[in-house]
Amino acid sequence: RSRSKSKRISGFDMAPPPSAMLGAAAAVAATGQIPGTAPTIPGMF
Amino acid sequence: CSRLHTKPSISPTLLLSNMYQRPDMITPGVDAQGQPIDPRKIQEHFEDFYEDLFEELNKYGEMESLNVCDNLADHMVGNVYVQFREEEQAQRALQSLSGRYYAGCPIIVDYSPVTDFREATCR
Repeated sequence: RSRSKSKRISGFDMAPPPSAMLGAAAAVAATGQIPGTAPTIPGMF
Repeated sequence: CSRLHTKPSISPTLLLSNMYQRPDMITPGVDAQGQPIDPRKIQEHFEDFYEDLFEELNKYGEMESLNVCDNLADHMVGNVYVQFREEEQAQRALQSLSGRYYAGCPIIVDYSPVTDFREATCR
């Protein structure tokens, strides 16, 4: 089978579509969220 | 198979889980939109995949064997087994492929205990 040298692009490092990436990033951000800093109690030293 | 096979800590063989995605994986001979696919297209799709795979893996060392499971059952679907000559080559390939994507899907790579594919059955 002869195939020209100008090959189609390899599927390697073909990232998922941006929409899927955003979803994944958002999910990570949501789950990996650091809970807010401990509330400072007024009047305590 | 639903068994949890032991994963060796080092092996000349790598398993790339569920990497080959058949265009007709939902229904044989039919694409996701319900349109029939020319068998030649499926063959071509497979050959393109194999070529991509071979070219990438060949960077890490000489391969003893490269097996792609294109069965339609849910057992080992799309699993790719690649056996290198040396464990170090497999190790380099594993490190390099981890965290990368193929055609929009993350590459899941692990060592596989298989060293003789003629004898490779589920035990």
